[in-house]
Amino acid sequence: MVYWILLQKSFMRNLQYKVAHLINNAASAIFGFVFIAIWAGVLQGKEQNSPYDVMDMTYYIAAAQCILWVSGFLTAGLNIQNGVRNGAISLELVRPTNFFLYVTSQEAGRLVYNFFFRSVPIGLVFAITVGFYVPQNVLSYLFICISILLAIIISVNLHYLVGISACWTTEVAWAHFVNFTLLAGLGGQMVPIDFLPAPLSVLTQYLPFAGAIYYPVMVFLEKASHDVIWIQLFWAIALTLLNLWITERARQKLEIQGG
Amino acid sequence: MNLYLKLLSGSLRSRMQYKMNFLVSSLSYGLIMAVDFVLLAAILQRFDDVKGWNLYEVGLLYGISSVAITLYRVFGVEIHNFERYMVEGEFDSLLIRPVSPLSLLLTKNLDLSRIGGTAQGVIILVISIIGLRLDSFDRLLLLLYLPVSIASGTVICFSLGLLTATLAFWTQRIKDFQTFTLYAPFNAANYPMNIYPGWLKIIFFTVIPVGFMNYTPVLFILDKGGSIWNLALPPAVALAFLFFALRFWQFGIRHYHSTGS
Repeated sequence: MVYWILLQKSFMRNLQYKVAHLINNAASAIFGFVFIAIWAGVLQGKEQNSPYDVMDMTYYIAAAQCILWVSGFLTAGLNIQNGVRNGAISLELVRPTNFFLYVTSQEAGRLVYNFFFRSVPIGLVFAITVGFYVPQNVLSYLFICISILLAIIISVNLHYLVGISACWTTEVAWAHFVNFTLLAGLGGQMVPIDFLPAPLSVLTQYLPFAGAIYYPVMVFLEKASHDVIWIQLFWAIALTLLNLWITERARQKLEIQGG
Repeated sequence: MNLYLKLLSGSLRSRMQYKMNFLVSSLSYGLIMAVDFVLLAAILQRFDDVKGWNLYEVGLLYGISSVAITLYRVFGVEIHNFERYMVEGEFDSLLIRPVSPLSLLLTKNLDLSRIGGTAQGVIILVISIIGLRLDSFDRLLLLLYLPVSIASGTVICFSLGLLTATLAFWTQRIKDFQTFTLYAPFNAANYPMNIYPGWLKIIFFTVIPVGFMNYTPVLFILDKGGSIWNLALPPAVALAFLFFALRFWQFGIRHYHSTGS
């Protein structure tokens, strides 16, 4: 299976940069400590007014910092824009492989790597310093796996959407920035979305960004009902179909240009 | 200096060839930083303060830190992306010019898209100063001192950037160090230092001295503690740190070996 091989190769390629990534992990943990410190400072003496106490927020931030590495920090535009710029995309689109799977399987390899060499070490740092939540219910582990998998699919699709837009705009740097900001801001990286001001806190529950970070974290902390997985599933399917359709449009555009 | 201005205006003109792209990238960069602050505002609106610092007081720290790091990103873009010179072996060409490599790097390019972040930091500062309702003496003191604080912050940031860039003489790649030496500390400096555990505080007042640029002077100006010396410390620390960074840079250049490619 060619996509499985692409996934493996991408994993191996990332393995070359282990040491640099381990240093980066320390920085990622510091970001986590800063967010935890802010919440501890904010909640000090005010825990009775809040749905979460300091320990809840510590667990929340720690889990979010780990999940970010598989569903937040993806390659900008999945590098599709480079192919658009140097013309390689015309060849990639005519290959007998499915372009969508060709691109996403490579990213998947990187995310599998990230899980073992980013998420797990960062989680361990939190576990020995401030504490890391351990799900109590055996059944929860099944739902956690499903939720994280859907989160990855949603985020890969969002990044694919940014990348494929290069076929029309050529420049995706700003689109990536906007996408990442929405993902981190409305996805609940630092602030659980139920803390957001009124209209936003309701609206964001139904946006794909929550499905990438907030829901998997809440499922992991056993604080969300398992029904949220349906929202994630909806977005995973909807975004995948949208991207397959847009990829088809991109192919037609390429043929018309004849480039 | 004349040459510097000429180079700057050239860079500005070349950027303006792509007006739309420039505007969109500045706006989106400013937007990213603004979202962070809006989230903070949402938290503080609900919980009033973080260890005794209200939104406008934190905004003061946040604004100084944002303006400082974005000014560094505008003017120090070649220092920030220094690993390119190591990885692609372009550093040799800088060494054979009659001007020092550092001045060449500083005049070579400007990253004006980061100006959006500076503007956003200034807006946060303005909102915070209005919201603080200080008496006229304290407000005057704050307004007079802000440029000193921002300049100190920019110098500290530049020194950290230069120290990190110097590491490239040995490690070639530095992008992963920058998260550790620049992004994480400046993100931390957006908030009051008293919320952090002791070991983090020690780091931010010694090896990565970002605490001095805004927390130290603002503490005194807002009557939260400290003495008049708190106002003298930021520029003193910034200059000492700059001196150290320059020495390390010189040391790095002496140890530079070309790739021979």
